[in-house]
Amino acid sequence: MTVLFSIFSFLYQTGDAFAFLVLSACGLAIIFGMMGVINLAHGEFIMCGAYVCAAAARAGLPLPIAILAGALAAGFAGMVIERIIIRPLYDRPLDTIVATWGVSMVVTQGTLILLGSTMPGTGTPFGSFTVGPYSYSVYRVVLMVAALGTLGLLWVGFTKTRFGVLARATIQVPHIAQALGVNTGLVYSLTFGLGAALAGLAGGLYAPTMTLVPTMGSAFVVEAFVTVVVGGADIFLGTAPAALVLGAVKASLTSWQGQLAGQIGLLVAVIIVIRILPRGISGWILRERT
Amino acid sequence: MKTLGLLQGPQTLGKGKPFWSAFTLVVALACAYPLFADGYDVGNNVYFFNWAFMALGLSLIWGYGGTLSFGQTAFFGVAGYTYGVISINFGDAYGLTIFALVASVAAAALLAAALGYFLFFGRISGVFLGIVTLSVTLVLERFMAQTAGPEWRVGAARLNGYNGMGGMPSLTIPWFGSDIVLFPDVQLYYFTLALLIACYLGLRILVNSRFGNVLVAIRENPQRAEMLGYDIRVYQLVTFIIGSALAGLSGVLYTSWGNYITPASMGMTAAALPIVWVAVGGRSDLTTTLIGAMLVLAGFQALTIHGSQYALVVMGALLVLTVLIAPRGLVFGLGTLVAALVNRKPKRQGE
Amino acid sequence: MAILETRALNKWFGGLHVTGGVDFALQRGEIHCLIGPNGAGKSTLFRLILGEHLPTSGQILYEGNDITKAKSFERIRRGISVKFQVPGIFKALSVRQNLQIALQHHCPPAELDGEIDRLLEFLKLTEARHQLAGNLSHGQKQWLEIGMAVGLKPRLLLLDEPTAGMTPDETAATGEMVQALNRDGVTVLAVEHDMAFVRQIAHKVTVLHFGKIFAQGTINEIVADERVAAIYLGDATHA
Repeated sequence: MTVLFSIFSFLYQTGDAFAFLVLSACGLAIIFGMMGVINLAHGEFIMCGAYVCAAAARAGLPLPIAILAGALAAGFAGMVIERIIIRPLYDRPLDTIVATWGVSMVVTQGTLILLGSTMPGTGTPFGSFTVGPYSYSVYRVVLMVAALGTLGLLWVGFTKTRFGVLARATIQVPHIAQALGVNTGLVYSLTFGLGAALAGLAGGLYAPTMTLVPTMGSAFVVEAFVTVVVGGADIFLGTAPAALVLGAVKASLTSWQGQLAGQIGLLVAVIIVIRILPRGISGWILRERT
Repeated sequence: MKTLGLLQGPQTLGKGKPFWSAFTLVVALACAYPLFADGYDVGNNVYFFNWAFMALGLSLIWGYGGTLSFGQTAFFGVAGYTYGVISINFGDAYGLTIFALVASVAAAALLAAALGYFLFFGRISGVFLGIVTLSVTLVLERFMAQTAGPEWRVGAARLNGYNGMGGMPSLTIPWFGSDIVLFPDVQLYYFTLALLIACYLGLRILVNSRFGNVLVAIRENPQRAEMLGYDIRVYQLVTFIIGSALAGLSGVLYTSWGNYITPASMGMTAAALPIVWVAVGGRSDLTTTLIGAMLVLAGFQALTIHGSQYALVVMGALLVLTVLIAPRGLVFGLGTLVAALVNRKPKRQGE
Repeated sequence: MAILETRALNKWFGGLHVTGGVDFALQRGEIHCLIGPNGAGKSTLFRLILGEHLPTSGQILYEGNDITKAKSFERIRRGISVKFQVPGIFKALSVRQNLQIALQHHCPPAELDGEIDRLLEFLKLTEARHQLAGNLSHGQKQWLEIGMAVGLKPRLLLLDEPTAGMTPDETAATGEMVQALNRDGVTVLAVEHDMAFVRQIAHKVTVLHFGKIFAQGTINEIVADERVAAIYLGDATHA
């Protein structure tokens, strides 16, 4: 019986890590995978979503609406950033890393100055349930469902809607898309905005579980990057399986040695995977032509 | 003599009488400064020189080599902690701190050799290299941050977790009579200045040599460089080792200067700062990198003293503006402007 | 003796069979052109010879030595040199520096400057020598790259569409350049679409189609071959 309890615990931990990685990475994966842009300000979009969600929730909005508000706010901010800072840099991918790092510093520090070092949050809803000797948070199971739901919605969006097809075409052959009358500027804005909105969604979803500080994005960003890089450019063939693998690695190391070991293990895993699969998991699956 | 001719060349700005006169003037002023300033201020200002080596190293790796490494702070930290461990255990007599300095820089170089081999011989580049190097410095930071217990020690030196290692002796030069201890004071100033000048001139020779030619070729078009018969992995590795050793030198000098090293020196914010200095200065030239790094550091310190919260905002904004407006560096842009103006008056100078 | 030989050379990319069992032999002293419709696998064959891709199966021999597993720079050091289709020069460096980087390991330091000047003359680039290579005209960039490839004193020169984007005058001048090199003993293998250029320089021509050798012969034989015309016009369906 205790074995079953341990197995459930491990599955829960893995699912929890998986959800965290998927939700924090999918926005980044869209931006990196589709646009080739490395957005080091990703953590700040997450923070934006978390802050707006918390503020909205404390203003009386029901939590789901507050979370959506956070996502929309981050999406809007993303579109602004894209227009001003990212768009001039499409032919200079390494410079986008540097520029977005600058944005990250400005936003983090700016938030600290304007809003202080913490923001009052909301509590975690739904309470807990027990399996055997351990108790688990119901909300974190909700987050696992949310992660799967987000992946599902994205899949439908990208393969079945016109926007999805147009976006992929624009990003791959922009001059041809333009010649066909596509407003490529708008497509770039919307795609980046979508990536930012997904980051905001992650922020909003996790806001009830964390202390809200201006640097909270940094808890997400490195692991999000790790997941995207290990996964490769495709969200469904890359980010999702990467999140699963890395989630399992993190869960097992955490339960064996503690949180720090989990974090270190994740970073070491990245180093190893890049060495073996230089184009990430999806690159290996698709055996991309170099 | 031919080697000295490499002090100027295609890979560095500045040549001929105007430049070297200006250079001599700057060095003279730097040497004269302690005569007009308080010993305490002089010692404090060595802080800027300490970081100059890191900036020059990153300029070599990124500006000349084209490799954006986010993790130079890893070598800074490794060398700093190694210096602490060796000097605490062996003391500062008989010039052992100098041994500690050399060994620590060697430790950083060794780590760079291993990591560099892994990266360049594994054909990892671009974004992925950036992520791996960032991961390395963060892993080191997180690891060192949890070494708080008394069991975390190397000999007599406790690693001390998040609070960092302190109490190591400063660099001490063995001398007849009594040893010269390099506290933050005039002697340390001259010691560091001399090292800086030596490294700067040495790097100028390196980048203008045949090695440097190949290095910038690799930066410009790695495929073509390989197709001219060069094993680009070796050049990238050697460059990475030299640049990272310089970062390690910064680490040792900093640790000796402040008698203190913490895991935060390898964290995310610390890793970003050298990128800012070098990007703003102009990474593809040693002189603009040096000038830019000094200016940004001075600005950062001034901001921190007078309105601490805004320092990072300004740093971030500076980075964004540089990338958008003057991607080759603000100082670089100014430098080429000045050079164009100077070269417009050859007849008046009666050459 | 064949200076270059491929034996049963195969390359698969995922499910795509790009190079299909190519047995190819290049004789020393030849100027040999590779032609074929787009997608026939000409560039891939080049990349396999240079080592940018490793073959799925088969062998590549250079001067009798097996270089199938050798790294690219090793093959270059053995005496192969290449000029790419898209000018592979160092745009941000000066013309002179481009040549210097190509020559510096193949020339004693005392003679280096003289060799560079000689090459600048040959390439008609003496006046432009201090300009940034990125500022040259397209034709000049191609010549600069040929110059760099030639500066290595190779015994085998690979040219990937050397006259792409050139005017007829530039093309003819390039043809003369190639013939002059060949008289000095350099074997040349060129991928080309420009039939006038092929006619001007080629001793032998090989036609590739769907990754396999479809026909071989002199230019006159190839031009007269109806099957070759058909594959260019898309009539032939090839098993």
